[in-house]
Amino acid sequence: MDGINRKERAGRIERSGVNRRQFGTLLAAGALVAGGGWPLPASAAPPVLRVRIGSDIGNLDPARIFQIENQTVATQIFNGLVKYDEASNAIVPDLATGWEVSSDGTVYSFALRSGVTWHKGFGPFTSDDVKFSFERVLDPQTGSSYSGQLASIKSIETPSPDKVVITLKEPNSGFLHKVSAFNQGWIVSRKALGEIGDKAFALNPIGTGPFVFQNWAPGREVKLSANKDYFAGAPKVEEVQFRVIKDETAAAIALENGEIDIFFGLQQPEVIQRLKGGGLVTVHDRDANHTINLVLNTSIKPLGDVRVRQAIYHAINRKALIDGFFKGTKSEASGFLTSSFQEFTDQVPLFPYDPAKAKALLKEAGVGSFTLDLVAPGANPYDKIVVPIASDLAAVGIDAKIKVLERGAYLQARNKGTVPTCITGVVGAPDPDSPILSLFAKSSFPPGLNTAHYEGIEDLIAAARNAQGDAARKEVYGKIQAKVMGDVPVIPLYADHLYIAHTKKVSGFVQNSLFTMSAYPVSLLEA
Amino acid sequence: MDRLLRQLSQLAITVFGIVTVTFFLVRMIPGDPAQYMLGDYATEEALATLRAQLGLDQPVYVQYGLYVLRAVTGDFGSSVVTGRPALEEILFSLPDSAILAFAGLVVAVVIGIPLGILTAERQGSWSDMLIMIVALFGISFPVFWLGLASVLLFSQELKWFPALGASSGGGLLTHLHHLVLPAGVLGISVAAYITRLTRSAMLEVLGQDCIRVARAMGVPERRVVWRLALKNALVPILAIVGVTFAWSLGSAILIEVVFSRPGIGSMILKAVSARDYQLVQAGVLVLAVAVVLVNSLLDLAYGLVDPRLSTR
Repeated sequence: MDGINRKERAGRIERSGVNRRQFGTLLAAGALVAGGGWPLPASAAPPVLRVRIGSDIGNLDPARIFQIENQTVATQIFNGLVKYDEASNAIVPDLATGWEVSSDGTVYSFALRSGVTWHKGFGPFTSDDVKFSFERVLDPQTGSSYSGQLASIKSIETPSPDKVVITLKEPNSGFLHKVSAFNQGWIVSRKALGEIGDKAFALNPIGTGPFVFQNWAPGREVKLSANKDYFAGAPKVEEVQFRVIKDETAAAIALENGEIDIFFGLQQPEVIQRLKGGGLVTVHDRDANHTINLVLNTSIKPLGDVRVRQAIYHAINRKALIDGFFKGTKSEASGFLTSSFQEFTDQVPLFPYDPAKAKALLKEAGVGSFTLDLVAPGANPYDKIVVPIASDLAAVGIDAKIKVLERGAYLQARNKGTVPTCITGVVGAPDPDSPILSLFAKSSFPPGLNTAHYEGIEDLIAAARNAQGDAARKEVYGKIQAKVMGDVPVIPLYADHLYIAHTKKVSGFVQNSLFTMSAYPVSLLEA
Repeated sequence: MDRLLRQLSQLAITVFGIVTVTFFLVRMIPGDPAQYMLGDYATEEALATLRAQLGLDQPVYVQYGLYVLRAVTGDFGSSVVTGRPALEEILFSLPDSAILAFAGLVVAVVIGIPLGILTAERQGSWSDMLIMIVALFGISFPVFWLGLASVLLFSQELKWFPALGASSGGGLLTHLHHLVLPAGVLGISVAAYITRLTRSAMLEVLGQDCIRVARAMGVPERRVVWRLALKNALVPILAIVGVTFAWSLGSAILIEVVFSRPGIGSMILKAVSARDYQLVQAGVLVLAVAVVLVNSLLDLAYGLVDPRLSTR
């Protein structure tokens, strides 16, 4: 045995010369594989705008549209009767050149722009398309999520191709918000839908907007081309490519390397800080139209007692959450509306961080130590922010149990309405009715979003509908905000901010507060 | 002919089993495709209308029966989200995934097998130890970590390769340029595994009597290792490659996410979170067929490598 082993050892020594050569070859091959890169090619400069979106699109039909990526792509394709001014959020003309409201506030007459044509040869845009679009949303067969938004419409008449008259069942001072260019407000072509079909239209949309839908490569990109006949003038770029890049770090590197031009949906605090600090790109920051709220289910003990809810409000250190977890990329919210709403007021009851006061309120309510489930969807940042909240609550004697559920399971649990807490933000247009009706109206009890089971402002909601004129609206919406914030069915954890970054080549970009972006004003400077 | 028929029937049974398990598994996850599609503000009526349109209002066993009946005729249903045929959507992504998995496997085989042979031959030497330690690290590091690290190094710092794993348009060179990092990372993580298993297979063969006899007869060592031993070790190595192909496809999901590369993996991931049942089923079906097909081809290849196996 020993002899053989010695021989083998000797053989190994003998072989080592050959192997060293082989090993060297392998190392060289390895080095070639690992390091054999070539520098990035200088990108050609055709006027193509490349925009990062965080996930793929799925449905661009305005009646069924949902999710910011779909809405962002649709923003380029469709118009509304009116729209939000990107910078000021004021309602301005879009397909309508002007409008008149009857003295009783129930009849809205819109004068329409003439000479507007549908994409891909679907003929001229007329008042009939407006009638068709809104009636389609209202038709139960369409199954639109937004039929409630247009529910106040009684009838739509088209006295001429360039005039549409909408009669409401009752006055609705916020009606223009409902027909603004977003979701149900986007106008579709009767002819195109008839020919393309309801189902196929979702990914073959025909609009009147500055860009024409070209094609969609699943999981990869969406391509739009410039509408040379756009009524406000042709766009300054030939093509827009929305590229699906899920990971934010990869997208940030791609932006700095010039592989993309605009980084839409920038959310991670670390990535925002990095792009801001790098100085290679421009980072835009704007108040969003939504706050993120901890919803407290008032139908569950002991949350039915307003003092307990106020105690929880006092117990949560929102500033630490914003400065620590979010690294200052969000801001503190005094209420459930943000300053981007024209009806916003900060004259509401405030509950600053004060653990001692929280304990005192709990004592006053006669509530000893109790257990509270913090239910959150398993998505960044909600699954993480519940951790500091739980520890804040523990400090005042509330045993908070974190329950993070996968999104589908979370929606199901929330819709049942039996969860004691959940986290909800109402993302969308700067229409105050949107968060107010969704979160606080009796009509939105679960499966709607009023998981709080709150019913303290039914009379004020009716008053808001009838309030004519800006001053009257501001007053009644101010009352709503003050009443809700005193009753604490929700705790605004933070006011969201929207971040969009772009390379220095991008010029003319205007950030809106809708969580979408418009490619229309953008031009690309020569490198 | 018999063998081919047997292989085909095995394929059919395996695929049927996988599709059935997937069908019931995705329906066991809580969540509602209609809710996902229509969003937070959907009314109960809108949800009910959509559920009826999608056939989700029927009992699960009825849905299953209908699914199997349609699947036999080649109709795998439509994606809930986009309304397009599910199989068509998956097959659209198949080339992206196949290219990545194949390129990764080529890198893995080119690196892994020679290193495995080398370390077996030099068992106990410093180079063996070094390579084995590196391979251990390669197995231990999650592939997404390797991916992120390589993006930081090669895209951000050195700017050799794009951060995005797929190009939009461009020629073959551009596509290859985008492929290097994802395929390299996938290949290296799989290579570590192949190296270790090749080494074991080779060690076993090198310890056999026939090798000692060959050496005693004065057959040159290079011939002993690369001809005699390797040929004997090739069957287990081929089996490893078959297994790692399935593994590559699995890892490709992570690679696709890290490098923002389209593919079946990222499509299934998206479909699961959207509860897009038909798309998940079609995706799993295509992956299962791919894995079973590759392994069947390897079964046939065993016969070529070792004629004794073809008569079994």
